[in-house]
Order: sequence, then structure tokens, then C-alpha cells
Amino acid sequence: MNRYLPLVVVALGILAFATLMLVIAPGIQMAQRSVPEGLRPYSEQEQRGRDQYVSLGCVYCHSQQPRAPEQAPDGERGWGRPSVAGDYVYDRPHQLGTMRTGPDILNVGARLPSESWHLTHLYQPRAIFDWSIMPAYPYLFEEKPEAAPGDTVVVLPEGFGPASGVVIARPEALDLTAYLLSLDRTYPVPEDALRDDGYARKEDGL
Amino acid sequence: MSKPRKHDSSKITRPPESYEPWESHNRIPLPVIWIALALGIWGTAMLFEDQTSYTVAQSAREAGEVMAHDAPEGGEALFLANCSTCHQPNGAGVRLAVPPLEGSEFAKAGPEVVARIMLRGIDGPIRVKGFTYDGHMPSFAAALSDSEIAEVAGFVAARFGGNAAELAPGAVAGLRGAAAGKDSWQGGAELATLVADLPPQPAMRAGSEADIDPAISDLIFAGKGDVWACTSCHGGLGQGVENTPRLAGLSGGYLAGQLRDFRDGARYNEHMAFVAKGLSDPEIDGLARYYAGLRVASTAAPSLGGDLARGEEIALHGDWPRGIPACFSCHGPSGFGVAPDFPALAAQQPAYIASQLAAWAGGHRNNSPLGLMDQISAAMSEGDRRAVADYLATLPAVPAVGPDAIAQLEGSDDGQ
Repeated sequence: MNRYLPLVVVALGILAFATLMLVIAPGIQMAQRSVPEGLRPYSEQEQRGRDQYVSLGCVYCHSQQPRAPEQAPDGERGWGRPSVAGDYVYDRPHQLGTMRTGPDILNVGARLPSESWHLTHLYQPRAIFDWSIMPAYPYLFEEKPEAAPGDTVVVLPEGFGPASGVVIARPEALDLTAYLLSLDRTYPVPEDALRDDGYARKEDGL
Repeated sequence: MSKPRKHDSSKITRPPESYEPWESHNRIPLPVIWIALALGIWGTAMLFEDQTSYTVAQSAREAGEVMAHDAPEGGEALFLANCSTCHQPNGAGVRLAVPPLEGSEFAKAGPEVVARIMLRGIDGPIRVKGFTYDGHMPSFAAALSDSEIAEVAGFVAARFGGNAAELAPGAVAGLRGAAAGKDSWQGGAELATLVADLPPQPAMRAGSEADIDPAISDLIFAGKGDVWACTSCHGGLGQGVENTPRLAGLSGGYLAGQLRDFRDGARYNEHMAFVAKGLSDPEIDGLARYYAGLRVASTAAPSLGGDLARGEEIALHGDWPRGIPACFSCHGPSGFGVAPDFPALAAQQPAYIASQLAAWAGGHRNNSPLGLMDQISAAMSEGDRRAVADYLATLPAVPAVGPDAIAQLEGSDDGQ
């Protein structure tokens, strides 16, 4: 192969330019913004739940990025205000997601604050939504003839639970629920927040 | 295909082993340059367009902030924005429902009395200009600042009571301190201690808050075997959050009607169908009674980025060219609600209002009497729905709220 050097130089140059524009510049831009006041780091249990969330692959169906009204009617869907970069400070790895097979859940802790709801829904989504295509996660739970003290019993309608006995949430289910309940980005946006304003247009009649 | 070619290649003379393929220095074809150039221009244009979007959104935000911070100036503008929806712009009140301010004994008593009433609200029967009213006035302590209360009180006393006394914002701060931790004024009977020479005031009716049935209480706070507790979603005091609605203070008839609709499938919501399917009629009535009697401070705040001025316009006057009537023409002055069919809208969670309006427009909710809301919602644009929802969230909660409820609510913040 001839002209080896220019080829390598140009290839590396393109790579360096892309890294600068797509990684370094946004990184600097984000690092300058303050952490929102209402946001707190995940607790140990919530972090364990977050690891569950990652390992179960929830991100393949659920996004965590409500959009601005110009981009999608997420506010009317009740999914919360458009997220800003600061909302994800403690999210490593982030779970932004690209698929919306299920609803966006960045604010699921605010709009569905009931722990027992989440446990029912994780055990069997069809117990609540007969049309739901979300997989059930029975292996996060166990069946027992009787609840021991300290056990969290899952509320189930007739026909969805075991014939006898009760369904108890394993620690994995409780961790995951704790993480879901911690998803609440309804606090006010900081002044200097980095927003996605794409598609904002002047409204008619203004 | 490959066989004949193999055959051909054997005929061609092979190049020597040491042969290195090479290409002479050819120019880049012109079309490629054109495409690259076009891509570059397109990219730059997109960059600038994105910048325009940012400027538009930023100026919209700033305009919204300006509106929220120093909205109406002067006592009259504040009065029109906050009081006139009930007391009417001319202060005449609403016959048998809202007491008049014009010529009222309380306006004549001066701005200090007016400010004290605004800071605490009134709950219970009151006699004004020879008529007895029995309603609720919300407290404006949280909604207005000291200087705003001073301005409104001064305006009301001067305009409707002919009392031109001045009230300094500093004095309001003192009154605010005195009112802190106190429940709303218990009707005219308690106000008589404040204003001299009042005509006889009706007695406050005895507290009739019956103890709540333990079975209902269990349902609310602990849930039954196969349903979740009401409070687990609607909050410990029925204050609601995001698209879970505020229930506190909605009329009992409306709440019971909705629960029956959920149970019978006339109103479609999976969560509520799950909960309501096992409820008996007495349970529904008990729940409705409990939530109708709850008094909780507003926890709603504009959160959808709606245009508050547009929302106020629609709530107060509607947009008739588009077929949108004023919200308050049915839902009562200031969105207090008109039992049993028109629920209170004031202080409702904005995400809930917006999602319900969208649901009506899209046909997912259709249990409105005469299909009223279906048509109205469909006539509203997406921006209008957010604007109205955000505006309604700025209104004070009705009925007036006692300090116990506020204390409980603040305490419960950490617990959730």
C-alpha cells in the first residue's frame, strides 16, 4: 500500500475531530452546569435496584428521557417535564434508552408512587393491564404458604396468584421497586440547565 | 457464473509475483465534491436552525418568568387576577354564593381587616349586607407576597369600603406572623371579634365531622386483600401528584360517580378499574365522603411550560371563536367546582388536567355529562391544554386549608 502515512494521519485527524466535538466539548459543556438541587444520589438499595434494572434489560423497552412539548406530547401523557442534562448526574451507566415500547419512566416514582402497585405490576403486568405486553418477572418473587413477619405480600386479584398461599417479594423485587420509586425528576430545573430545545418554534398568534 | 470466469482467468497472463497494485493520482470525481459540499452546507444550516430553536425556547422561558414574577401590578390588577373570579370585577359578589365587597362591613373596616381575612381565609357562615353566606374563602397567605396583599387590601378597602387608610407591606408581615399557625376564620362569629359594630353574625355550626368508619379507613390507608391503598398513589392526604389527581375537597357526588364509572367501565383507567371493581356502594360513598371533607393545601405548581396568560384567558373567558367556553362558567368561580357534575379544578395537578383533556379529545375518556368535555377538549390545541392546566395549578385550593393539614403535608414530604 502506498501513501500510508497521509492515510493514517487523515484517519486519526477525523477521529480526533469527532472525539473533540462529540465527547470532549459536550463533556466540558455539561461539567460547567450545577447539579439540580432537588436531585439526590441513589441510596444503596436504589443502586442495587438500578443494577437489577440494567441486568433485566428494561432499557430495551423503556426510555428515560421525557421530551419537550415541541418534540412529543410527553407532558400530556403525564411523563413529566422535559429532562435536562443535570437530571442524569448520578446515572452510570445512563439508561436513556431509544425504544418506547413501554412508557417513559424517568418520573415513574412521581406518577406511580405506590410500592404495592409496582410489586403487583412486576409480578404480573396483565393483572392490571390485560393488554400489556410487558414480560412478567415471577422470579423476583416467591410463593409461600404463609407470610412471615417482615415479608412484603404482593396484592393480587383473584386468578393471578397461586391457588393457595401468598406471593412474597424477594429482595431483588424490593430493590428494583425502590429504584423505580426514586425516579422522580419533578423538581424545578436549575437556571443554568442544559436543555434540548430542538424544534422549538414561535407559536402562531404570539 | 464463477465457473466460466475461472476458465477465462486461466487464459489471462498472470502478473509477476512481485507485482504491487497501484493507482495513479486521479482527481476526486466532481459529483463527490458537490455532495460533500452540500452536506457541509446542510449541516451548518441545521446548526443555525438549532440555535434559533434555542433562542425561541429561551425567550419563551424568560417571558414566562417575567409573567410569573411581576405579573399584574397595582392593587386593581391584583384584585382582578385573584379576587374578581368570585367577588366579581365590580365587587358585587354572587347572589347567595359569594358575599359582596361593595359596601360590605368588612371592606369599610379598613385594609388591615381585609388583609387579615386574606391571610387566613374564611370557613363558615357569615352575614354581609343583610344576607347570610356559607361558603369557603381560601387563604392567600401562600399565593401573594406581603406587598401584594397590602396593595389588594388597600384597593378593596378604598374602592369598595370608601376607607382610604394606608397599609404598609411591613404591617402585613406583622399580620402574617400573627396569622401563622391559625386555622381559617370560623365564619362571621369569629370575625366579629375583629370588626366592631358588625350586625349580628350567624353562629358557627357545631363541628359535625363524624368519625370515619374503620372499614373505610382501612381501605384508604392499608388497602384490602386485592387492592392497593388509596393513599399509596393519591398521597397521604389525597393531594395527588403528577397525573395522579388531587382528591381532597372534590365534591362527594363527583367522586362517587367516578368510582362507579370506573367500576362499571364507563370511565376507562386500568389502575382505577383494578381498585374499583371490588368496591361496594356503601364503600364508594364512604370514600367519597372522606375525600370530599379533606382539606389540604395546594401541592400543584405549573410544570408543563404552558402560557399562564393564555390559560387564564381560557379559564375566565374561553375562546368562543374556537368553541371553547370559559372553564369557570361551569366549574364555578375560581374553579371551586359545582356539585355533583363539575369537579373543582383549582389546585388540581397540572399533569392530570392536561392528560384528562387529551383523553377527552382522543376519546379515551367519555363519561362527561352530555359529552361536554369531549367537544371542548377537542377544540383546544395542545398548547392550550397545557396553558389551562398550568393556570389552574396556580389557584388556591378550595375549600380553605387549615394549618394542621399544611403541617401534616410538610411532614409527609420526607416520608414518601
